[in-house]
Amino acid sequence: MTGHKAMGIKVAGVNHNTAPLDVRERFAHGAHEVPGALARVMAAGASGGVLLSTCNRTEFYLVGDDDDPVLETVWALLGERLPANPAPGGAREYGYIARDREAVRHLYRVSAGLDSMILGESQIQGQVRDAWEMSRAQAGPVLHRLFQTALHVGSRVRTETGLGMGTASAASAGVAVAGKIFGDLAGRTALILGAGDVAELAATCLSDEGVRVTLVANRTHERARAIAERLGAKAISLDEAWPHFATVDIALCSTAAPHAVVTWERVGAVIGGGARRGKPLCILDLAVPRDVDPSIAQLENVFLYDVDDLQTVAAQATARRRDEIPGAERIVEEEADLFWAWYGGLGVVPTIKELRQRLDHVRAAELERALRRFGHLSPDDRAQLEQFSQALLNKFLHEPTIALKSAAEEGRGYGLLEAVRRLFGLEPPE
Amino acid sequence: MIITLHLVAFALYGLAAALAWAPFMGFRPAPRALIIAIPCAGAAVHVVAISQLTLVGLGPALSMLALCLVLLQLASERLLRGSAVSFFAGPLATGLLGLALLAGLTPAPEIGAARNVWFVLHVALSVLGLSLMALAFIAAALYLLQFRELKARRFGQVFQLFPPLERLDQLNQFALVAGFPALTLGVLLALGYGAQFAGQGGLHVAKAQIVWGLFTWVVLGWTVWVRVVRHWAGRRAALASIAGFCAVLLVYVALKLTQPGAERFL
Repeated sequence: MTGHKAMGIKVAGVNHNTAPLDVRERFAHGAHEVPGALARVMAAGASGGVLLSTCNRTEFYLVGDDDDPVLETVWALLGERLPANPAPGGAREYGYIARDREAVRHLYRVSAGLDSMILGESQIQGQVRDAWEMSRAQAGPVLHRLFQTALHVGSRVRTETGLGMGTASAASAGVAVAGKIFGDLAGRTALILGAGDVAELAATCLSDEGVRVTLVANRTHERARAIAERLGAKAISLDEAWPHFATVDIALCSTAAPHAVVTWERVGAVIGGGARRGKPLCILDLAVPRDVDPSIAQLENVFLYDVDDLQTVAAQATARRRDEIPGAERIVEEEADLFWAWYGGLGVVPTIKELRQRLDHVRAAELERALRRFGHLSPDDRAQLEQFSQALLNKFLHEPTIALKSAAEEGRGYGLLEAVRRLFGLEPPE
Repeated sequence: MIITLHLVAFALYGLAAALAWAPFMGFRPAPRALIIAIPCAGAAVHVVAISQLTLVGLGPALSMLALCLVLLQLASERLLRGSAVSFFAGPLATGLLGLALLAGLTPAPEIGAARNVWFVLHVALSVLGLSLMALAFIAAALYLLQFRELKARRFGQVFQLFPPLERLDQLNQFALVAGFPALTLGVLLALGYGAQFAGQGGLHVAKAQIVWGLFTWVVLGWTVWVRVVRHWAGRRAALASIAGFCAVLLVYVALKLTQPGAERFL
């Protein structure tokens, strides 16, 4: 990711490709930490900022001309979260920077799910929206427009391509399979067996879809209670869990038991009895070795899926999604061009003004020098000469002004502006 | 003109059915807008065609049934947010319209009774009731197919393209519960119409028509009763719907074979 420093949009951050999970966890910012972090980078010279922080990425989107102090602040801010003996380069070691059009393209790819760990996942779009909402006060007009269009790009990619089709992780495949049974998952109830990371991640996926995780059962009560509190559920022991198979819609099993814990003897009568009244029960067995006795699937309304089943669903979706990458990238490029044209157009009026001032200054200086040499001229002649110099300047500037304005209107303003600024040594626009 | 319009509708329904089945034949799914727009266009042409028909005889009845089915398919697209109903409704409507064309759609000689508002309402409501019963059958068939795939842990096209089980179950219940009052009103209007035109040279009604009409009403009533009163749901309710619809169809075919001829619906 490279670029020149003339325009002021940039992104600096880390993601799942550049930093391991334990580092990403340290860099992740909670909602309450965002305003403080942005205030620091704004104080370092940024004129606008948005902080996008998810479990897979922490990225500062910034607007400003003076690169170095702002980026130094970003790396310092992230570096403070590293343990006592960080890598030699500090946070920068894990990070990347993209500038200008590359930064725009980067955000568009993020919003489209092209840069996600799970290709095409849709959660990121909500996270981009949340980041924008949270940083509204500091974003400024350029980043407002950038994030607004990024959400539009995400929607376009998901509508016009199959990038968001299916589901691409075992946990989200579980959600998809449950969705094929129940339709809308909002308001459904779930029982979680096990309290490890996998159980928690899958429970969070269910919770994100509106499923009410009501019970968390585990051999160790303390661990169950910790997860239950986070999910707003009740912690129970494994033995207390069996009767609840009569009422819940989804049972998610991920214990570390070396053998099946959900056996026919324990739940067969509970599920097969009249209490369920034919209501379907979706059992997602994410444990290896499996937690659920396969014979449970013989019960009429039980839909049992193990890790292999869910990985099959996920693999199918990933393969299909890969075919959609070119189409999605095309949309990203189109939209990045449009944004860049808009952004280029922003600088036209100040650039023309600055160019005119610069050349008028030269004209006035040269005229004064010439008039000093021609001291014999009458006031009338002097006035004629001044008029002539102004007319000449106007003639010279007429074509470039028209060309810049029309290029901006046609969405080609940025390239021409860059050329004018470089040719006449103008300052970058605010 | 009637035949031409029916042929256009037939072609559009056929195209819509082919598009709905394309993913099962290894093609990319057609855009959703196209899957909806084509049967919509077909239904618009079909409405114009039907408005010129006298609703007497097998051909017009089948044509109207096909139209109702397509309209219900379009309505259920919205309910299910998917096009799965078209997998069955599309070919079924195309087939019914094809049969209608074969049976003949030329305007019947003007029969005053056939223009009577009660008669038109009777036909419209009865056909709507039958179409809703067919829709319940389609939802039940889709349910059983999706149920089988989910139980067998197969994640192919049926899993991907068919709607969730509970939504299909809801569609089945909705179609049955809405279809029963429509058919009941249709039957009652037939009785009222019969009484009004008794001995006045109205349309001849064969006993077979009365038997089949009442049989259909009883079967539909039973499927609604088991769903609403006995709280059958899911697979059992789907099987009941399919059994009921098949029984109605078999009795119709049996009666039609014993009393051939296209001049009457039966």
